[in-house]
Formats: sequence, C-alpha cells, structure tokens
Amino acid sequence: MQTPLTHEADGVGRSTGAVQRPRRLRIAVDIGGTFTDLAAFDEATGQLLFGKALSTHDALVRGIQDTVERAGVAFADAQLFLHGSTIVINTLLERTGARTALLITEGFRDVYEIGRVNRPDAYNLFFNKHAPLVKRSLCFEVPERLRADGGVHRPLDEAKVRRLAQELASRGVEAVAVLLLHSYRNPRHEARVREILREELPGLFVSVSHDLSQEYREFERASTVAANAYVGPLVADYLARLEQHVAQQGFVGAFYVVQSTGGLFPVQHARRDCVRMLESGPAAGVIGAQAICAELDLPDAIAFDMGGTTAKAGVIVDSVPLTTGSALIGGYERALPVQVPMMDIFEVGTGGGSIARLSEGNALRVGPKSAGSTPGPACYGRGGTEPTVTDANLLLGRLDPDHFLGGAMRLDLTAARSAMQERVAAPLELDPVAAADGILRIAVVAMSHAVKAVTTERGLDAGRFTMVTYGGAGPMHASAIAREIGIRRVLIPFAPGHFSAYGMLFSDLRYDYVRSCFRKLADVDFAEVEAMYREMAAEGREAITQSAIKPGAVLEARAADMRYVGQEHAVTVELPTALFAAQDRTAIKQRFDALHEVRYGTCAPAEPAELVSLRSTSTGLMRKPPGRTTEHGRGEPDTAALRGRRQVYFRATGFAETPIYLRAALRAGDSIAGPALIEEHASTTVLAPGDTLRVDRFGNLDIAIGSDQA
Amino acid sequence: MSSTQSIDPVTVEIIRNGLLATTEEMKANLMRTAYNLIIYEALDFTVGVFTADGDTVSIGLGLPMFIRGMSETVKAKLRHFGRENIHPGDILVTNDAYITGSHLNHFTFTQPIFQGGELIAFTCCMAHWQDVGGTMGGRTTDIYSEGLQVPILKYRKQGMVNQDLVDIIAMNVRLPERALGDLRAQITALATGERRFLELVERYGRAAVLQSIAAIMDQSAALAASNTRNIPDGVYEAESFMDDDGIELGEPVPIHVRVEVRGEEITIDLSNVAGQVRGFYNSGITTGIACAQVAFKCLTTPTDYPVNEGAFRNLRVVMPTGRIISAERPAPMRWWMTFPMTVIDTIFKAMEKAIPDRVIAGHHADLCVGTIHGINPGDRRFFIGFTGPLGGGWGAKRGEDGVSATVCINDGDTHNGPTEQLEVKYPILVERFALRPDSGGGGTWRGGLGVETVIRALSPMTVDTYVDRVHCKPWGLDAGKEGAGNDVRIRRKDQWLDTATNGKATSVRLQPGDGFMMRSGGGGGFGDPLLRPVTQVAEDIAEGYVSASAAAAVYGVVLDAEGRVDEVATAHLRAAAKA
Repeated sequence: MQTPLTHEADGVGRSTGAVQRPRRLRIAVDIGGTFTDLAAFDEATGQLLFGKALSTHDALVRGIQDTVERAGVAFADAQLFLHGSTIVINTLLERTGARTALLITEGFRDVYEIGRVNRPDAYNLFFNKHAPLVKRSLCFEVPERLRADGGVHRPLDEAKVRRLAQELASRGVEAVAVLLLHSYRNPRHEARVREILREELPGLFVSVSHDLSQEYREFERASTVAANAYVGPLVADYLARLEQHVAQQGFVGAFYVVQSTGGLFPVQHARRDCVRMLESGPAAGVIGAQAICAELDLPDAIAFDMGGTTAKAGVIVDSVPLTTGSALIGGYERALPVQVPMMDIFEVGTGGGSIARLSEGNALRVGPKSAGSTPGPACYGRGGTEPTVTDANLLLGRLDPDHFLGGAMRLDLTAARSAMQERVAAPLELDPVAAADGILRIAVVAMSHAVKAVTTERGLDAGRFTMVTYGGAGPMHASAIAREIGIRRVLIPFAPGHFSAYGMLFSDLRYDYVRSCFRKLADVDFAEVEAMYREMAAEGREAITQSAIKPGAVLEARAADMRYVGQEHAVTVELPTALFAAQDRTAIKQRFDALHEVRYGTCAPAEPAELVSLRSTSTGLMRKPPGRTTEHGRGEPDTAALRGRRQVYFRATGFAETPIYLRAALRAGDSIAGPALIEEHASTTVLAPGDTLRVDRFGNLDIAIGSDQA
Repeated sequence: MSSTQSIDPVTVEIIRNGLLATTEEMKANLMRTAYNLIIYEALDFTVGVFTADGDTVSIGLGLPMFIRGMSETVKAKLRHFGRENIHPGDILVTNDAYITGSHLNHFTFTQPIFQGGELIAFTCCMAHWQDVGGTMGGRTTDIYSEGLQVPILKYRKQGMVNQDLVDIIAMNVRLPERALGDLRAQITALATGERRFLELVERYGRAAVLQSIAAIMDQSAALAASNTRNIPDGVYEAESFMDDDGIELGEPVPIHVRVEVRGEEITIDLSNVAGQVRGFYNSGITTGIACAQVAFKCLTTPTDYPVNEGAFRNLRVVMPTGRIISAERPAPMRWWMTFPMTVIDTIFKAMEKAIPDRVIAGHHADLCVGTIHGINPGDRRFFIGFTGPLGGGWGAKRGEDGVSATVCINDGDTHNGPTEQLEVKYPILVERFALRPDSGGGGTWRGGLGVETVIRALSPMTVDTYVDRVHCKPWGLDAGKEGAGNDVRIRRKDQWLDTATNGKATSVRLQPGDGFMMRSGGGGGFGDPLLRPVTQVAEDIAEGYVSASAAAAVYGVVLDAEGRVDEVATAHLRAAAKA
C-alpha cells in the first residue's frame, strides 16, 4: 500500500552546465555468472538496444566496456547508468574477500562461529557446519553491554576500542565488522565504535550491524555485517574504478546500483552497504516481469528464470513483488545468513546443465549437480560424458545442433545419444528417447516445486497466475511447467536472455528500513510506533532527495511483522498509513488474521496479536521507458518467419514434424498453434500440441496453455 | 503393499519428489504457525505420510530420534479402532508415552486420507507441547507425576471436534493458550499433508502412487543392503554408561550393545542395556528400536531421503522390554531423550573395529538445556522457558576433525535460542556464550569443541538442568583421547557452588544476580594425537582451540617465545611421549 509523500517536478536528469551533446540514453548492465548483458533505452528514438558478451570475472570493468561497445552505445550519450553484478555473491562463495576482523560484545566472541548449532543433515556423521568469513583469531571482544530494552548495562570501554584499533592495524586487517548485542534497539555503542575506528584507522572499511539490519538475532546480524565487511573493500574498489571508467568515457549522469529488492540506490551507498547488491540480477528480472505485467494490466504473475544451473521463481501479487527479510548464502547445511530485504525468490538446482544420474537401486535423479560450462553437457563435445537436461532437449529435437547460439556452437548429437544410452537408458532398460523424455519430466516437476513454493505454499492459487518466463533455458520448459501446475497463460518477453538488464530500466530508487519493536497490539502506544515509522520514512526521503536524480514522487509503504502472542514466527502484513492515523487496532488485527488464513489455512481472531518488527519502504519513482511496440503483422507469420521443419518429440504425439519459426521475423498479432518451436539468439520457445501463441503488441509471446495431455 | 509390480523409474522419481515436498510443506506450516520455541526453533516435532497399514512413506524431520515413534503410533491407533471404525473427517490423538516411546509432551495427531471412500494413507504430526501439567520441574518417579495422559481418542469425529477433550486439556496444562495454539498448528500440518497427498494421487493415479512408494522403499532397501555387504561379517560389541538416573545420584547405569553382521543383514542386540530406572530418563520400546534404526541409517543410508521403511528391511533389532529404552508403565519418561543418544554412540563405538572409516568418536550426547520458570516482572505472568540447546562437540572421524558447537544426535535442524531473543522474552542476562578451548579430545583428528554459557537471573526464578555425561566423557577412537564432559554450576551472587556437579540441578531457586553455568562436552579424538601434523596443532593454538599447555601435554608440540613451533623441542617431546 503506497501513499505519496511528496511530489516534485517530473524531471529526469540534472543540469551540468557543460552539456556537449544530448544525453539521451539509459544504460543498464547486468553481470551474470556466464554473460554480461546490456539493455539501453534511447529517449530520443524510443528504441531499445541490447548487448551480450561473456563475463570477464578477472576484468569486470573491461567486460562492461566490451558489452557497451558491442551494443553500439556510448556512456557519453547516457544520462543514467544502472548496474547489477554477481561480484558480491561470487566473492562470498569463492572466499576471495578481505582479511576481516569482527568486533563483538565481550563474552560473545564465538557467536559467529557457533551459529545456530543446527545440524540439518541429520543422519550424516560427516556433516559440516558453516565456515565463518572471519577467523576466530580475528574476532575481538569489546567491553560493553546493552540490555534488551536498550538500556546500558555496562558502558562502552572506549580506551579498549582504541587499543583494539592498534591491534587490528598490526594484524594487517583490511575490513572490520562490528556487532554489539541489542544494537537493533540502541545503536549508540556501535556508532561510537565506528567513530573511534575511523579516527584511529582512517580509510579502513568499517561496517556496523545496525546500518544493515535493525532486527534481533545476533548470529544473523553478525553474519550479515561480516559478509558486508568481507566483500566491502573489493566491491567498493570495483565500483570506484567503474565510476572512474565511465567518467573517462565522458559519462556525467547518475550511476545507480540495483539492490536485492530490485530497487536502486546511488553508487556511493552501494560502496558502503555492498551486501545489499547480493541478488541484484535475479531481483531485476522480477522487476522486468512486473513492468511487463503493468503494461498488460496483469496484477498477479510468477517470474520464472531458468539458466544453466538453477531455476528461480519470484511472485508478483496485486502488482507488487513479494520480498523477504533475509537469505541464506550457500547450501542450506552450511549457509551464511544475510539479513537484509530481498526479493523473495525460491531457487531449485535444476538448469540446462543439470546432470541425470542413477543412484543406488536405479533411482533416476536429475541435478543438483550441473555440468556447468566445463565440461558442459555431453553434446558440447568438451569431454562431458554424463547426460544433462540440454542433452535430453537435443535428443528430442528441441534444440538444433547446427543453430545453437545462432550457430556459434555446434552440438554433438551422437555424444548426447551415447551418454544417454550408457548412463541412463540401458541400465533402466529404456530407449534413449524415453530416457530423455523422463529426464525432462523429472526436471519439470522439480522446477514446478520452485513455482509452487512461491504460490501454493503461500496460499496463492497458482492457476490464476500468468508465468513470465525468461533466462536462456526458461522458454524451452515453460509450457511443460505450466501444465504441471495448472497455469493457463505463459508470457515469453522480448529478449528473454537479456531480461535482468532490461528489468533494471524499470527499477525505482528504494530504501528499506526495519526496526524490531516487540509490542502487544492491544496496548501498543501508537505515538511511539508512529514516531518510529516517521523516522524511517524521513531517512528514506532524505536519502532519495539527496540522490542525483529528482524522482517523480516519493512513496512510503508501511508493513509490520506480526504474530499471535506466544507464537514465534511472524508474517509481514502490509498496513496502509491511514490505519495508524485512525489508531485502528481492529483493522490491523483483521488484516493480520486474514493474511494468516491465506498463508497457513488457519487463523485465530479471538487470540491477541503482537508486533515484532516495523518495516518501512521509501520509493522514489523513476521515469520508465514507454512500452516497446512491435510492428503489426497479418495475423499469421510471414513465410520468411518459417525457418523450416524438423522432427520434434512430444509425449502426446511422439516424434512429429514441427515448424520452426524465427522470432525476429514475427509481428504483432501473429498467431501460431502448437506444436512449434520459436527460435531466437539465445533461447528457444517450445510450443506444445494444444498450446496457442499470439504475439502481442509489445512483442511478447503470449501463450495459452492447452489442456494437459501428459 | 506389493513391491513386485513394475512402475517406470521416471514416475517413481516424480512421486519421490512429490512426497518430499509434501512433508517439507507440512513441516514449514507447522513451524510457522506453532506457538512455542521448542517447535519453531528446536524443531522438536516430526511430520509424515504413512501407508494405510501405518508404514513410513516419508518423514519430515524435525527430530531425527523420532524415526520410529510416528509409525508405531499410527499402527497403535489403527489397532485400537480397527480400520472399519476410522472415517473421513476423523483425527486421532494420543500422547501415551508407552506408545510414542517418548514423553507426554509429544502430542501426536493422525489424520486418515480417503479417496473414493477408501482409506489410502495417513498423515501424522507429533509436536512437543511446552507444558502438559504434572510436577513443575524437579524430579519425577512415575508417569502420573509427569502430566496429563491422553489415551488413543478421536480429537475429531467425522468433522466434529471433541470439545470435552479440548476442555480437559485446557484445564490440565499450565499454558493452555499455547497448547491449543500448537494443537491448531498441528491440525494445519495434517490438512496440508492430506491436500498435497491427494493432489499426487489425483494427478498420477492411486496405483501409480502406491507402486511408486513401494519402489522407493525397494530403492532404499537396495542401498542399505549394498552398504551392509561391504561391512566384514562378525560380532562387534561395546560398552559405556550413563552417570546416573537423576534419583540414585552417582550410581552409573551401564550400557552394552552387540552388533552382528552377516552378509546383507545386521542384527543389533540391545538386551544388555540396563533395566528401567527409578528416575525420569526411561523411554519406551519404540525408542529402543529407534536407537538401532538411527545408528543403522547413519552407517548405511545417511543421505537417502525420504526416510522410509525400506531402509530398515535388512536390520533386525533385539529389544526385550523392561530396559531403560524399552520401559513399561509406570516408569517415568520426562527426560526420555538423553540415554538413547549414548546407546547410539556406543553402537558406533562397537563398529569401529569393522568399519573405522565410517564411524565417529563419542559426542557430548546431551541437549544441554536449562529450563527456567517463574513470574516475569514485566507482565506479572507465569513463564516457562529454556536456554539452549547449547550444542556441543562432535567426535572426530578418520580423516576429519570433529565439528564444534552442534546439537546432539537426538536433534537435527534444531536451532538455539538467540541471546537477543531470550533476553526479550525472559528476565535473564546472558553473560557469556563461548567455545570451550581444550574441550575437544586430542587425536590425529581432533574432537570438536563444546560450548560454555553463563546466565544471570534478573528476577527470582527456578532452574532445572537434567544433564548427563559429566563422568562418562565422549570417548576417542583408535588411540584418540576423550573430550571434556558436560558440566553445570550454580552461582550465588559471586560464589560458584558445587550443587550440580553431576549435571543435575533440580528445582534450584535463583535470586536476582545469581546465575548458572552450562558447559557442553567436546567430541572424542580419532587416532593418536602425537601423529597430528604439527602445522595443524600450531593453527589450533593460533585460533585458540587448543592452549599452548595442552598442545605440549596432548600433542607433544612446543612453541617458542614468538609463538612459532619449536621443531627441535617438539621432535624431542613427541619421541619421549611415544617411548
């Protein structure tokens, strides 16, 4: 629920006084695991431009420049540069960050190493727990203690902090994280430690937990602030170099970074709160899906992204993507929590590269191990001997061995067939085609669980959602996944392979704040709550109005994490500001009861409820590119669009001659009945028998899913 | 259910995924709607799907030790009513400790799943209620002092809730609103399980689902058999003991296990564990069988999911009644979970001679929780809370150091209560929460470290700790050293007392400023500590896991004044130690 706070001139850009040429471009660059993608919007011509190049993880700035040049655009022509990158997640997973120290309340040195003491892999004697980013020898105790109500139990020993600073310097520490107990309630000790460290060690990267999270749970906050400090020096340096680079290229516009919520923040904030850009790419994809749905007036949609190793699903309800308060980095058993707002995305380990394997007892498993790009699927001919999802698609005729990536890479059908035969088909006494079909069925079911996780498991009826599908491998499996869940409509956006970069063009400035606030709803002091919300909103508004670009309007949205008194887990309830003005406890309670009923199938209207945390989101609305329209056709594809026909396998029909269309040659209004394949540079859309496709005026492939014939 | 019909492997895998998703979602819904920390953070619950005969199809953990209790409870309910008297809309309940094998806190609800009028499966949900009446803290010597006992009953009859039962419960437990909140959460989980299982049946057909379940069990059985075949035939035995039963303090309770391996079959004979005790550490026979099953699963199919009946097809368990883990009415069971963990550890100890690469040295084997109760000065209301589980050291394995600060084998994805949360909820201040250096047993591979916490009372309250394995320390294997034992101390103002040296502080009243310390043990080491690479010992010293003095005494490693390894002195000391 959003309420405008301020309205300002609807003007993008800023006066520089020395404008040499019209700065008409918005450039968005997303660095992904494999590719760096670019999307640019030309305000003068209304044109959208795209670029793609292999990511260069050793030289990210050069990779960005390559992509920019390949797309035929220039930073000098841009007034806005939007950026997302996997640098944070890669640094965390590859453990290539800074030598980091942790300063923590005395008596609690080992909070980060001990963690939550859980053992998810319950019967495995060879289990492992999380490996902290900070060694125990670099965890130092600070004499101080706050009580749960924020009162001072023991004052901060400032002299000790100064001595610790010297110790840090002598130990060659490159970054410092600070976690003091109950700092979510009273940040003064943490803030003072930061001041002292800045005085003693100017230039050192210092991160304090309350900057990132003001929610209780010390291990999660410790892990969050440690992650931020750990990636900080590297990411701050990268962003500084990138700023310098674009400046050298003549860029004088505003540079924004995408956060894990999909919202933007200025690069100078990203240099401090680096960990907020953890999931920028996947989040931007959901923002892109939201933009498409807004154009089509679709309030509810699933954003589904399938790549080489994983499939991810996000969900948009009433035109707003669902977000969550934390994420786990790495596999669940060894995960490091990061407690910052994120797009709520569920991920499963199924992608094009997922390996199919027989386990003991001839159980057929698909993933989570992936062949990656080296050796890659068997059909890549780079030494892969195990069959993958991609090999299965090739055997079923869905991929063209001669036109993979626009013909840039030949696929080896023989290698795919023999891998399938030897590893799966023969041991199970199946023929390779049945094995390939089986592998796809298993992969589709696994991916359907990701979609269900964000819909049916939250009490949302997936059947009434439209599934916006992107990522290189998404369009190939969308129809089957939709059938599995009972989804009737699938949209394949224009340029599904560049979708995260495209989505960035539709992001808004965004600041999220959370404050723990344990109060019973029945006797909460509204003045106190109102003051906390106003403080958060004021911070957000200030951050937004200080940014280079004057947004069209600043909106404030309020929510609260609530639970029944005595319950542990809270749910986030969106609450219109008006409810607070009216001090309407009954209406707040009813909203909570209703959400609880939707999510869990039960509620207890007679039971008292309490507040756990207050959430405030400030959004500075950016001007968006207008809808990109596609030239209108004659209702059926041009003959030029029909590239040919080949034998493609569908379970309902077996191998059948199937037309292959070139997406680039399709026009708005064109309609195609399945079975058919629609090929484009980095993606192929599979239209199953019974499906019908219509190209909409924006160039999306709008697919009506036929009845299930599985 | 016949497992001879053939079903295609693709459908089997799809159904397997569907069953896993079903129990995971049941689990998620229970956790998110439950009212007490023990369910939400400690995950003291288990949900599952069972065949129409009560055999385990898929269990969502929860509590790994409850691997057996659910199926036995479903079967007992089936026997009690008879299949013909179970109807759509029924929900069956019990907390009978001698059926579940555990304590009265484990209320277990079971819902039959019907399709076309025919009973095709059950969903079941056990969860730990924070209070079920009975003596508040302290010691119990029979089941009647431990709370309300609900025999097998129908909580719901064809859709109609049995309000008499609800009223009886509400009058007999200390925190009725929480108990009934947890009850609602359990019913939610059952409904989730029923809905998702029926979706699978409707989508793939009943025959396909039932045949797939049979095939999944066959797969698990095949995996267990193949991992048993490579264990050398023979008879393997080991012993250990519990410190005492909480009543006869200082009187050890002996444990002896015997494992016989013959081809594809393993027999675990638990006849020679001690007879049931007066104190409250007994458990029922389903837990005795669970001890054998948990050990067997850890050794043969540790990462095979879902947990199902097939995995235990080639396991025989000899478990006479009347033992500490097969106790009979009216034996007290309130702290049922402690002894079985040591039984499991002892099975691993026995198997060291057969499969040294697959076993683990002893672990701290205790929840290490403190329970507190009193009146909260904030809202003047009665509270019951617990601190921990502390987590502790795990044993080393051949090739790997033991893991530090992790919950015992009774618990799985169990989370501790964060200090910031405990201090908001209860009138306490946590003064310290830290690893225990030198607590891990020495070895070529070192045992994991235990944890130490000190808690100060801010208002008058009563504390109970029921900790064991203070004296029977986590053993090492293959010349590895034992780890430190568990430990509890009470503090009056600034004075540490010895009132709980046996780990058992029962009904100890604390005044503001008083406190208690709990320490969990470290894991046992594996292999001779003198063979641990010097660089690893030096690293342990640098990180503070091992003190310099322990490094010299246990590992024969000497540091010089600058903290570098003194190669000459080290070689000398190691040679002398070996001699």
